[in-house]
Amino acid sequence: MAAMVESLRPDNMLHNPYEVIPATIYEIVQESPLIRTIRLRPEKPIKFQTGQFIELTIPGIGEGPFTPSSSHFISDVMDVTIMKTGFVTEYVHQAQVGDLVGLRGPFGSRYPIEKFEGKDVVILGGGCGLAPLRSLFTTLLDNVDKYNSITFLAGAKTPKDCIYKAEVTGWRKYDNVKFLRAVDVVPEGEEWDEEVGVVTVLLKKLDIDPTDNPAVVCGPPIMMKYGTLDLLKYGYKEENLYLSMEKKMYCGFGQCRHCVMGHYYACKDGPVFTYAQIKDEEDIWE
Amino acid sequence: MLIKSNDLLAFLHKAVQEKLDGTTDVVLPTSNGNGHTYFGTLQNGQTAVLNSFRTVDPTKILFYLTRERMRPEELAQKKRIILGVKNCDLKALEVMDRALINQEFVDPTYKHWRESSVIVTSDCGAIGPTCHCNLVDGHPFATSGFDLNLSAINDNYVITVGSDKGEALLKLLQKHVTLSQAPETVKQQVENQRKAIQQQLEQQNAAYARSTNYDHMRAVEHELWNDVSKQCIGCGACTHICPTCYCLILNDETKAQKFVKERSYDSCQLSGYARVAGGATPRPEMHKRFRNRYLCKFDFMPHDFGLLGCTGCGRCTDACAGEIDFREVVHVVDKNLATV
Repeated sequence: MAAMVESLRPDNMLHNPYEVIPATIYEIVQESPLIRTIRLRPEKPIKFQTGQFIELTIPGIGEGPFTPSSSHFISDVMDVTIMKTGFVTEYVHQAQVGDLVGLRGPFGSRYPIEKFEGKDVVILGGGCGLAPLRSLFTTLLDNVDKYNSITFLAGAKTPKDCIYKAEVTGWRKYDNVKFLRAVDVVPEGEEWDEEVGVVTVLLKKLDIDPTDNPAVVCGPPIMMKYGTLDLLKYGYKEENLYLSMEKKMYCGFGQCRHCVMGHYYACKDGPVFTYAQIKDEEDIWE
Repeated sequence: MLIKSNDLLAFLHKAVQEKLDGTTDVVLPTSNGNGHTYFGTLQNGQTAVLNSFRTVDPTKILFYLTRERMRPEELAQKKRIILGVKNCDLKALEVMDRALINQEFVDPTYKHWRESSVIVTSDCGAIGPTCHCNLVDGHPFATSGFDLNLSAINDNYVITVGSDKGEALLKLLQKHVTLSQAPETVKQQVENQRKAIQQQLEQQNAAYARSTNYDHMRAVEHELWNDVSKQCIGCGACTHICPTCYCLILNDETKAQKFVKERSYDSCQLSGYARVAGGATPRPEMHKRFRNRYLCKFDFMPHDFGLLGCTGCGRCTDACAGEIDFREVVHVVDKNLATV
């Protein structure tokens, strides 16, 4: 295992990794018709580092891997943004304030934010892929002066599908922060005065020297693929492109093998990889 | 040391009945009369068979249970003597050890079962039709990694000590049974017997000869994998019975607000194995999943653990409903390795 991978993975496996920490839902924000943020208060604080993920259990139903979407400087509560797309998430969308859920983790690698200091950071994401990016973004905002600039390029299908709407105004108040959005289409009857097109159209608004600056990508597979390729075309180096690979991370710590991508495990070597690390592995975009 | 087989059997009965040294279970291959053996206990009255080839069921089922609650604190305190483990299964346990007890994490129940067991291996006195440990640099007898090893000669077993745990068991044995020193002639008999079985294996598998370098297996054309997997129905029997496969699924069995995870075997051969919410899956085609199993054994596991994931037990071939011979597939793939 490469030394860099190890440094991105904090040592947190000393406990029984199957142990579940109970948590209570104390607030629910319906972000869009298909996406909601549940706010959790775990029985004991869960310290994670931005980019790492947790396994969320709906009691008696099952569990799934999700990346917290809140700042890693907060450990007594945790936001998790979840799209209704499968069996477990269906139940997440039926959950109510006061319900009990379970958390395991945190697992996996983190965004190396210390390497972002003094840099122009670009964050590119779409759909529910904005969830881990909001964690990264708000973590960076907590020390916003450490970074030369932060540009968040966010995509959604339609204006109605845009998430974190309530926070956009606050995010746009910083001098060195840009939060730009694009939607694929604007259906009749919906209002929109920002960009229209797939999220990568926002790259033309970028005025950054890509030589030594980092960019972070997360989103649906097709967006990850073309976002990455477009950033490479823009001039970003493979080793400065950070991807959050979301595979079937069933156990969370490299035992169950469901998320294996050749010589890498998405759960323990990732989910945060540089493009340089995994570009030669098979099926990374699927 | 030398022990009479009847004396050993009598000791094992006594060990369980009188809980000698805290022994709770004796597990060993038992015969059902059809030429095959299965792990069982002495209590059920079946015949113990220590000197045949490997059991139908892999030894992993004694350490990595087919379904198990992940609450190690609720596990029963056991002290098991497991006999008749064959070298292929012992080597498989080494793979499991590296996968499940390492610096990154420790699987709590596997560790529990591993620590509460003494492993007594025994030389293969026969070979099964699918046995092929010789093709993966293995032997039908163990030379290290066991606690005790037994080599059957006539009505006696030659005992070899392989660990402190084994030494302790030998001491216990000596308290209850009179052992004799194994004469040189008997030791020579053991060597001759081992050679004879090894030769049988080499003859049986001569047609499947292959190189031992699998570095470029990934480069073999998908077309070929498509051809060799045509008879595969994707049932997953091969992975369930494989002594080194440990892929798992977790079921949530939470009741009354007490979180409980239950683990059972999963198989990379099943179509839904790596499917994520929303439906995307990296290996929708059968031949890709088929290929994944071979790559896991010959590429991924060596990369992760420094050991081949195949120990040549041949169970996957026995279990295959499509009558696919694992040796034949690797043989064909190997022939193509030379051309990639």
